[in-house]
Amino acid sequence: MTTQTPKAPATSPEQPAAAQRRNVPEVPTWRRKLRPYLLSIPALVIVVGILYPFFVGAYYAFLNYAAVNPNPHFVWFDNFKSVLGDQVFWYSVRTTAIFAVLATLVETALGVGLALLLNRSSIIGKIFEKVLILPLMIAPVIAGVIWKLMFNPQFGVLNHVLGLGNTFDWLSSGNALFSVILVDLWIFTPFVAILVLAGIRSLPKEPFEASEVDGASWFFMFRKLMLPMLWPYILVAVIFRFMDNLKVFDHIYVLTAGGPGVATRTLQIGAFEDSIINLDYSRGSTYMLLLWIIVFITARYLVSVLGKAQRRAAGAES
Amino acid sequence: MSRDRSSGLFRPGPGGPQMSRRNMLAALGVAGAAAASLPVLSACGVGGKASAPNGASAVTGGFDWTKASGQTLNILQTPHPYQLSYQPLLAEFSELTGITVNVDLVPEADYFTKLNTELAGGSGKHDAFMLGAYFIWQYGPPGWIEDLNPWLQNSSATSAEYDFEDIFEGLRTSTRWDFVNGNPLGTGGQWAIPWGFENNVVAYNKRIFDEKGITKLPDNFDDFIQLAVDLTDRAENRYGISTRGSKSWATIHPGFMTQYSRSGAVDYTFNGSELIAEMDSDKAIEFTKKWIDMQHQAGPTSWTTYDYPNATGDLGDGKAMMVFDADSATYPKNKPGASKEAGNIAWYAGPAGADGNYKTNLWTWSWAMSANSRNKLPAWLFIQWATGKEAMNKAVEGGTYADPVRKSVFDTTFKRVAADQFGYLEAFETVIGQSKIQFTPQKKFFDTTQNWAVALQDIYGGDDAASRLRSLAKTNTSKVNL
Repeated sequence: MTTQTPKAPATSPEQPAAAQRRNVPEVPTWRRKLRPYLLSIPALVIVVGILYPFFVGAYYAFLNYAAVNPNPHFVWFDNFKSVLGDQVFWYSVRTTAIFAVLATLVETALGVGLALLLNRSSIIGKIFEKVLILPLMIAPVIAGVIWKLMFNPQFGVLNHVLGLGNTFDWLSSGNALFSVILVDLWIFTPFVAILVLAGIRSLPKEPFEASEVDGASWFFMFRKLMLPMLWPYILVAVIFRFMDNLKVFDHIYVLTAGGPGVATRTLQIGAFEDSIINLDYSRGSTYMLLLWIIVFITARYLVSVLGKAQRRAAGAES
Repeated sequence: MSRDRSSGLFRPGPGGPQMSRRNMLAALGVAGAAAASLPVLSACGVGGKASAPNGASAVTGGFDWTKASGQTLNILQTPHPYQLSYQPLLAEFSELTGITVNVDLVPEADYFTKLNTELAGGSGKHDAFMLGAYFIWQYGPPGWIEDLNPWLQNSSATSAEYDFEDIFEGLRTSTRWDFVNGNPLGTGGQWAIPWGFENNVVAYNKRIFDEKGITKLPDNFDDFIQLAVDLTDRAENRYGISTRGSKSWATIHPGFMTQYSRSGAVDYTFNGSELIAEMDSDKAIEFTKKWIDMQHQAGPTSWTTYDYPNATGDLGDGKAMMVFDADSATYPKNKPGASKEAGNIAWYAGPAGADGNYKTNLWTWSWAMSANSRNKLPAWLFIQWATGKEAMNKAVEGGTYADPVRKSVFDTTFKRVAADQFGYLEAFETVIGQSKIQFTPQKKFFDTTQNWAVALQDIYGGDDAASRLRSLAKTNTSKVNL
């Protein structure tokens, strides 16, 4: 093992602080003392802006605080017992999981496919590249309103175009979950496509040119070259979408309010119902805290997978 | 190797004080702990700040509309025919009282979310706001709204001409409760003053009825269902009956609760110590099965997403042949130019109960005063003016305001204005004697009533009615007595 000795400064011992001070502008003492505090402000803003509501929410989860009970006291884990013992909560967990997994998988597959198509330089590809961003520019609430009109069996465009008559109900108990996933796909597949497209365009050309000279097929190059190098970009998209899908609320609430029955009641909708409609703040906070635990664990796992993929793509890990 | 152990969060360095990473983390930890401890320290403050005094007793001397002249009033409303009818009259109120009125409008879909949040936060931003009677059961117990009885009783604050008793009795009692489970409405404080109200009756497309030669309207529920089925023609994109079916407490309160009550079913009974949910009684199960079957056979295809704008919109568009909902929601659709079927809409009371009863559930938009308001006298003068005879007569003249809460206004101006609305006044006269809030008042109304709507959706989706309603009743019984 070798050690490096730092090089001596260019100035000689005879030219001490006074000479250095000539090159460095004089900073008043009060500004020097204030600097660390100023640098701490962003962190404090984060503490106040994110952690404060978080801890308040966590604190409420251990109270029996509701509009009808404005003077609450600690009930410790009673809310957790009540929520975890409620069948509706487990329906919500199941619905949230199905939604998050299905929507993320399909968005990723479609997004990668679209990115590959868009990467072929043609006029149509360039036009589509611009047009595909449009759903991303629409707020999910607005997208929900638009799709609710399109889903309407009486006058909606979908039944008319697909020849389904006026008796097919996109938002019935059996179809609602898939319909809200369809809307999510419409909004967010372009997000995955754009992220992956950026990844494709940043890949080095040499390996592809070399394998083309060697006569490798397109599919072989995709499977053996592009996909391994692209994997970290895909995983970033998966992490974003999966986290977002676990917390989904807006367009589902507009389309079905979590119904029919509990068919599309995600954990966020459950929290909203308890906190805002029923004004049972502690129960709503319990839902949110449990959702946070799920998101936290999932995020930790996916980030570790991403780290491994990045190391593998860089050749540091086989 | 030596370490500089000069302690404190910041160590002096060549360029001034420096913060080590460990100390930075410590600082953040402390800040985080401090932030986290804030709610602990403010535990006693959970639930918002203490409300301002009622203020009625501070008003003395003779009554005078200009007592709060020069003050400003903030009110919260939702766009609605009542609001639209009064909008042009606000200038008259300002002229009469010298009070400036600032109006905030929030769409109905978001109105109560906004109001819930504002009242829970205790901001008192809006001094008076539109309120539905059921919301009193939720806003009253935490002390978010003011008891208006002291204001009504104070002759210095209330004009001698106000005549509170002129407001229909069912409406006056619907806005009073003492918040004790088992006690009926009409007890306790007067938490809001009724302003406009809705009877839930049947509106129908008279043009189509005439074409088909339907002259006798069904007076029992089975015949009503049969008529709805007969009128349904899916190939023509036409169906018999439109009602609300969305996942909301509002699905229960109009046509469903009206016919449920007429069928002899009740929501809860009180056994002396607690409320018992009765959604699984024999009468309730039988009625619910029929109601859901009617939706399948003759309702809109996407019934589980239907709110009142969908239901009344389909009537106006000629797609729904009948609507069982608020009369005031269908009334504006009949005005020239308001809908495709304008001029063709007629009303009747709907099917009677087996014993001939016309029990009807009502909804009333009322005016309430925020307990945190700092402008209570202007707020009361506004509420008094808005619910008074003179302003209400003028609002009714506008032609879209139905139904007036005052008997004197109904008997004079409204009867004249609505005379050409086929069957409207007859339906009103038929039900008004039995029109009241048919729900049992209880503080978990929105939670338990939304559960009820969820159960209807589940049954619509194929669940067995009896077992689903038994499960609902069990859940609701435990919730309302918590």
